[in-house]
This record gives sequence, C-alpha cells and structure tokens, in this order.
Amino acid sequence: MRISKEVFGVKGSKKLGLTVQLRRAAAIAQKDLRIYYNKPPVIVQGIIFPVILFFTFTIGRKIPTPLLISGLMAMVIFLTATSIGPFVFPWETMRKTFERLITCPVSVKTILFGSMLSSFLFGVIFSLVPLVLGIIFFSLQITINFLIILIAMFLAAFVFSSFSLILSAPPTDMPGNIMIFTLLLKFTILFLSPLFMPIRDHPLAWISPLTYFVDIVNVSLGLESAFGHYGILIDFAILSFFGVFFLFLAFMLHKKTLQKRFRN
Amino acid sequence: MNAIVVRNLTKYFTPSKKEKKKGRARNPSLESRKQGNNSIIRAVDHIDFEVKNGEIFGFLGPNGAGKTTTIRMLTGILKPTNGEILIFGQNFWNNPIKAKQIMGHVPEEANVYMDLTGLENLSFIGELYGISKKERISRAEQLLKKFELFEKRHLKSKKYSKGMKQRLLLCMALMSNPKILFLDEPTSGLDVQSSIIIKKLIKDYNKNGMTIFMTTHDMDVANEMCDRIAIINRGKLIGLDTPENLKKLKQEYQAVDFYFTKEAKESELENLSSVKEVRKIRDYYHIIVHDLNDGICEIIEYIKSKNLKVKKINTYEPHLEEVFLKMVNGGDDY
Ligand SMILES: Nc1ncnc2c1ncn2[C@@H]1O[C@H](COP(=O)(O)OP(=O)(O)OP(=O)(O)O)[C@@H](O)[C@H]1O
Ligand SMILES: [Mg+2]
Repeated sequence: MRISKEVFGVKGSKKLGLTVQLRRAAAIAQKDLRIYYNKPPVIVQGIIFPVILFFTFTIGRKIPTPLLISGLMAMVIFLTATSIGPFVFPWETMRKTFERLITCPVSVKTILFGSMLSSFLFGVIFSLVPLVLGIIFFSLQITINFLIILIAMFLAAFVFSSFSLILSAPPTDMPGNIMIFTLLLKFTILFLSPLFMPIRDHPLAWISPLTYFVDIVNVSLGLESAFGHYGILIDFAILSFFGVFFLFLAFMLHKKTLQKRFRN
Repeated sequence: MNAIVVRNLTKYFTPSKKEKKKGRARNPSLESRKQGNNSIIRAVDHIDFEVKNGEIFGFLGPNGAGKTTTIRMLTGILKPTNGEILIFGQNFWNNPIKAKQIMGHVPEEANVYMDLTGLENLSFIGELYGISKKERISRAEQLLKKFELFEKRHLKSKKYSKGMKQRLLLCMALMSNPKILFLDEPTSGLDVQSSIIIKKLIKDYNKNGMTIFMTTHDMDVANEMCDRIAIINRGKLIGLDTPENLKKLKQEYQAVDFYFTKEAKESELENLSSVKEVRKIRDYYHIIVHDLNDGICEIIEYIKSKNLKVKKINTYEPHLEEVFLKMVNGGDDY
C-alpha cells in the first residue's frame, strides 16, 4: 500500500476529483474552439447557413420586429451550438487524436463535457450578435427583458450542445458522413419550429425544443406567450427537460460506440 | 515491485455485420485465427507477463501479432475481453484515470494536433495531466530543446516532418514525467539518425528510473534496447528471454548463399567440417554453417581447389519468423 501511495502520489485521490475533471474539460473545450472554429463545415453550418436561411425566411414578408429577433436568435443559437460538436469526434477519430485523448487521465464524460462546452460557448457567443444588432436597430421600438433572454440563451445553448453530442455519437471516421446526417436532422427541426411566425400558426411546433426558446424571447420582447399566462415557466421547464434528456441520451450512446472508434 | 503485471490478457474482435459482408480480411494470418462461422479474431490470446520496475521491456513480434492490441489494452484504449492488468499492484480498470496519470503513451500512428503548434500540443497535454501553467511551459520548453524542436515550437505541427512529429509525440508522452512509458514501434519509418537520437533518449530516461514498455518487429532494435524481450506471435506469447539468449538463437542459424559459375558437388560441400547442411536452390547453394567466419574461409579454400569461380555471395540473416518457428518447434523446422 505504501509503495502504491509513493507511485501514485499522496494527493492521488484528491487530484482526481470533480473540479479537476472540470478543469480538464475546459482545456478540451478550449482546444476544440481553437482548432475547429475555422473548419469549413463549422463556418458553413454555423455562420453561412443562418445568414442564408434568415433571408430566405424573411425577404418580402412583413414580420413584426420581435418575431424577427426571436427567429434569428433561435436559428443562430441552434445552428452554431450544433456546428462544432458533431464534427469533432469523427475528425479526431480519423486523425487518431481521439486515441491520444483517451490515454490521458480524463474520463470519457470529461471529454464529452469538454466537447459540449465548446459547442455551448460557440452558440452563446454567436447568438449575442443578433441580440446586439436587434438592440442597436430596434431598441427604441421595443422593451426588452435582458435577464430572461440571457438565461434562455444559456439554457438553449445547453440544450443544443447536448443535442450536438448525440449527433457525434456514430463511430465513423469520416466527418462527411456525419455532416449529411446532421444536416437532414437539423433542417427537419428548423422546419418544425415556428420561426418568424406566430407560434400558434405552426401545427407541429410543440415537437421542437426551439419553439420554447422562441416563446421565451417573444415574451421578453413584449409579446404574449403561446402557452398561456404561465407560459414562460412552461417554456423553461420543457427546455430543461430536453437538455437533461439529450445529455443523458448522448452519454449513453457514446458509451455504446466508444470502443468502435478504435477499429483501426 | 512489478510495474506491470498482466494475467490472462485476452482480446477478441468480432467483425461488425458490415465487415462480415465485405469479407474484409486485414491480414493473411487472420484467417487462421478466425473461429468457426462467427469468425472471431483472436488478436491477443490469454497472455501473462510481468514488467519489472525500471526495466526496458520489449514486445517483439511480426506484423499482426497482437502488439498494438496489447499496448492499447495496457493504456486503456481498448477494453480487454478477458484478463487482468495491474499497474504497480493496482487493477487498471478499477481506476483507469489514476493509472493513466502515471503513464505516457506514444501510439503507432502519429497523432499530434496538426492545427496546434508544437508548444500548444505539449501545453494541452500538460493541462490534461493537471500540470500548472508555469510548470507546463517550462517542461515543454525543456523537452522541445532536448528533442531539437525548440526552434520550431511556434510552427503548426502539420508543417513538421515525420521524424519531427514522432519526436513531438515522444515529448507529449513525456510531458507528465510518467512512471511507465509505452512506445509502439518508436523507430519504425524513421531515418537512421532520428532513430539513433530517439533510442538514446529513451535509454537516458530509463537510466533515470522510467519503466519502458516498447513494441517492435525488429529483432535488432529489441536486442539493442531491451533488458528483457517477450515474443508474441498470432496473439500468443511464445517466449520471454534476455537479448543474449535471443541473439544466440539467431546466431544458431547462420548461412551463406553461394552463386558459382559451374555446378558444385553438394556432397563434397557437406563434407567440409564447418558446414552443417547444403541445399541447392535454383542457381545457388544455401549453405548452413556452424560458424560464419570459419565456414566462408573453408568454402573459399574448397572453391580454389576445385577451380570454381564465385559469381556472388550473400550472407543470410534469418527472418524473425524463422527464429519464432525455431522457438515454437524447437528448431525441427529447418
Ligand atoms: N480494432 C480491430 N478490429 C478488428 N481486428 C483488429 C483490430 N485491431 C487489430 N485487429 C486484428 O488483430 C490482429 C493483431 O493486430 P495488431 O495491430 O495488434 O498487430 P501488431 O502486432 O501491432 O502488428 P503490426 O506490426 O502490423 O503493427 C491483426 O490480425 C489485426 O487485423
Ligand atoms: Mg502494431
């Protein structure tokens, strides 16, 4: 026993606590952001798509300002928070850096959490852009409840970065494969979401987690909730549920596919 | 104290449905390891060994023997199908993070982060081992200097040459100053000079107390570097010996190939005292001798006396596989 203590260090058990793993997750997130922010699929899906889609949805239509802002924010946070995540795992499997990570003293959960954190930060940073633009151009016309919007942004970034972990679970080493599959899924979700339109006008809106984020933003911009008087509470509850559910599912799927990443 | 104890370690691969359909065989030796219709690949098959603290332990075997699979199990990449791994007496899979904290690994294929610089790669790995920022930078710079990468530390590693990448990989494995260092074919594919530098540095680290576990398919590298060598073939451990004994085994098979201008008499050659056996193969004579030097001299004498002329002489290095066969079959195979 004494020998093992000497070998593994006296601080052994303390060193491996939660805070340590969190710090290592932060290191992984930082690495992800630094390496992947400028990769073509990330730029295309995270930045070019939102811009193109925004104009496709809105040009030639008369849309009330709050719906314009909520729709744009929802689209941006959804697309940016899911742009890095699904790309990192197949890329690192292909480049064999994933193997490198696994041999370091970090748990799989830490790696997943780190990847999620990078998606989260990417989403938050980029969805600040439409918010700031909205404020600059429309600040005189509307009242904004900032705090609620910010909390909603964090929550939505959490939901969609967890979602992006699910997308990254298939153990492929070809980033292109994942991209096609994620694009299909993402477009489906976008069309199921009531972007740039009153939520009540969209028959299937309740399926999409984005709906609840849009509703919160709408309410913070002075509109009425689509879900009744306490609608905003319902929104927060359902979003949280989605986030936890996605995270749980992602951890489960990754646990299942992890070993398949090392098939040479 | 043993640094590593391995008991009954086993890894079987079951091909996925897709692979089965394609009938994808990675390796000819694979077929023989497949079992029945469920075609399980026995990559590593119930092996036992110990690595002593402070030694350089070699894992020698031909392509597809199971070396990489073993090292991937020891470093926590692959989960064993069966068996036990103890790292300084502690079961690896009871607390893999704790065990990994004291290990470093240089994988078979280069896998540095191409989009990070040399220094960033090292700093990132240091962070994952919980090394403070100040310490990280100073250690990284020391290593980069030692491995002659310091000038290029701010260059993205996609611009590194193969040899530089391999050295950077070693630096990454050494960042945490590990108790055990795992090296998968550390010198394969490198030019002579790079591999000399790497071999020397590995030996230096070992002298300072680091336990080294390395795989190779090159008997000479193993002989040169290792204190003890385990030999693996087709997933099974077939021997564990010192380099001296291995060398003896290799020297027991000494042969020369002679190409003559005219036919020689096999029986006459075989009667020479230093010749063990003669085989005529196509246009040359494969002559197995007791001692290389004596053998060649005696054969030359004979050639002179018979007025034969020599077209070409090749001394013959036995292949790893031949030594293996000898080990497995007790030499009856020749
Ligand atoms: N992930 C995997 N899935 C299926 N089969 C595998 C996998 N990894 C290795 N194998 C098979 O297991 C056997 C042992 O492979 P391994 O890579 O361990 O050999 P090796 O001794 O490292 O060979 P080399 O000298 O070529 O590196 C091979 O037949 C290989 O095809
Ligand atoms: Mg190998």
